[in-house]
Amino acid sequence: MADGYSVENCLSISNRVRRSILDLVHRTKSPHIGSSFSTVEILVALYFNRLNVSPDDPLNPERDRFILSKGHACSALYAVLAERGFLSKEDLELFAVDGGRLEQHPNMDLGRGIEVSTGSLGHGLSIGAGMALAAKVDKKKYGIYVLLSDGELNEGSVWEALMFAGHHRLSNLVAFVDFNKIQALGFTKDIIDLEPLDEKWRSFGWHAQTADGHDFEEIFAALNSLSTEKPNVVILHTIKGRGVSFMENKLLWHYRAPDDREYADALKELLK
Amino acid sequence: MRNSVIERITKEAGKKKDIFLITGDAGFGVLDNYKKSFPERFLNLGVAEQNMIGMASGLGLSGFKVFVYNIVPFVLYRCYEQVRNDICYQNVPVTLIGIGSGVTYSPQGVTHYSVEDIALARTLPNLVILSPSDPIEAVKCAEYAIKSKDPVYIRIAKSGEPVIHTGRVKDITRPVVLNEGEGVAVLFHGSVSTEVVSALKGVDRRPKAVSVPMLQPMDFSSLEKELKAIHTIITVEEHFVEGGLGSIIAEWIVSERLDYRLIKLGIKNEFIHKITNNAGMRSHYGISSEGIKGAIEKAYGNG
Repeated sequence: MADGYSVENCLSISNRVRRSILDLVHRTKSPHIGSSFSTVEILVALYFNRLNVSPDDPLNPERDRFILSKGHACSALYAVLAERGFLSKEDLELFAVDGGRLEQHPNMDLGRGIEVSTGSLGHGLSIGAGMALAAKVDKKKYGIYVLLSDGELNEGSVWEALMFAGHHRLSNLVAFVDFNKIQALGFTKDIIDLEPLDEKWRSFGWHAQTADGHDFEEIFAALNSLSTEKPNVVILHTIKGRGVSFMENKLLWHYRAPDDREYADALKELLK
Repeated sequence: MRNSVIERITKEAGKKKDIFLITGDAGFGVLDNYKKSFPERFLNLGVAEQNMIGMASGLGLSGFKVFVYNIVPFVLYRCYEQVRNDICYQNVPVTLIGIGSGVTYSPQGVTHYSVEDIALARTLPNLVILSPSDPIEAVKCAEYAIKSKDPVYIRIAKSGEPVIHTGRVKDITRPVVLNEGEGVAVLFHGSVSTEVVSALKGVDRRPKAVSVPMLQPMDFSSLEKELKAIHTIITVEEHFVEGGLGSIIAEWIVSERLDYRLIKLGIKNEFIHKITNNAGMRSHYGISSEGIKGAIEKAYGNG
């Protein structure tokens, strides 16, 4: 396990990850930088302080499984996997280019730490539930971690999985909701209001916690208070575009890739 | 045929500890033996097909050999994108057992028919499509699926179908010849085989009859060998006439510039409003023994 990373370490890794995301997105004119920035802290917390995974032994059957159900935030996943040693510099250079290696939504590649192919919302939690059930039947100790978006919770399939995991008390399943409150065409509260979100999960038989999704102390506290009886969810209050002032809470950055000037301005902020 | 398939899987589950059977609240009475024998490797997921397929993928990715049992609309239609992304895209060895092929469930209505499933399944790379013509082929299909490292879709009608093969069926990955004949060949798959068998009894000249249980990937080179002395192919299926076996053969003839005349029998591509039983429905759409007989006579120039 990659534990022992202090909050301070995690903060500096997060900063490097954001710069890497900025580079990836700017260079390839890829979408979803805002959705990627909101997930940075949870990904860093998981990969550097929680998941039992190793780039030296990526196929180890005892490894923890992480599923990025909001596959559109792949640039964040790739940046973190590179920091953690699963992806090489060359892999990142081959993101979204002609003849490249990494697509704009993750394609399963266990050797590179990409557990499941995602990109269509509403799939990851069911797959995770299947893995959690398999681990229970096999009496294995590994955990399954799934990161969902808030807009994704509009999908009926998510609630099928919620009912299933609650009923079967899949306590080895941990879901996170990146609750940045903005989905593809606007604010979640205006499109399909999700609140009271933690109560909804609780009523489906889950142990629900909330945390500031950009605060490592709060994320670690939640990870240290998981239920061993029920499936777990941590609802992460986050900010879309977090880290670059002019991107924060702006729907535009669900789509837009920074131009050269915006790139320079964003980099300046991240280097402060 | 469903019982033959489930019994074969149940037998295998005693030896292979990685077999897992799931259902979406379907299969009353059919799955009891399996469930009793292997309760820890059986699960009813409830009426939630998207989760059922996603779950099957998660189990498969964790090393289980998963069989999913439901009626066709609920292993393929409701959850098509899960089948596409979660199973076929990642090439997870999950077997979908779809019951109620064609208009087996007449007159339950269009919601319960599966007349376009092969057309849909054919669009999915990695997916093997099997449509056995009788219980002997069904067992062979189950055996194929047990060994397969790819996802498989097995299309079956219900229970009680008669055996049509008099000899042994060695290999369902190739066309299975039921009887030899000259000039005309009838290619068919699935439970409508009984109509073909009965049509063959009533014609003056007997065509070659070939069951084609594996529709994807299709073994065209074996098929071409079987069709050497043939000028006219008649395809018979309880499926839309467009999109199934008839279309597979038509595309093959065109792309290989082959010199066959093709007569495609199947269900007209329309939402079915006719209310009748399975036999009546076959008769209505020209795939009863009478309709097939007519096509054979026409093919020999007597019609």
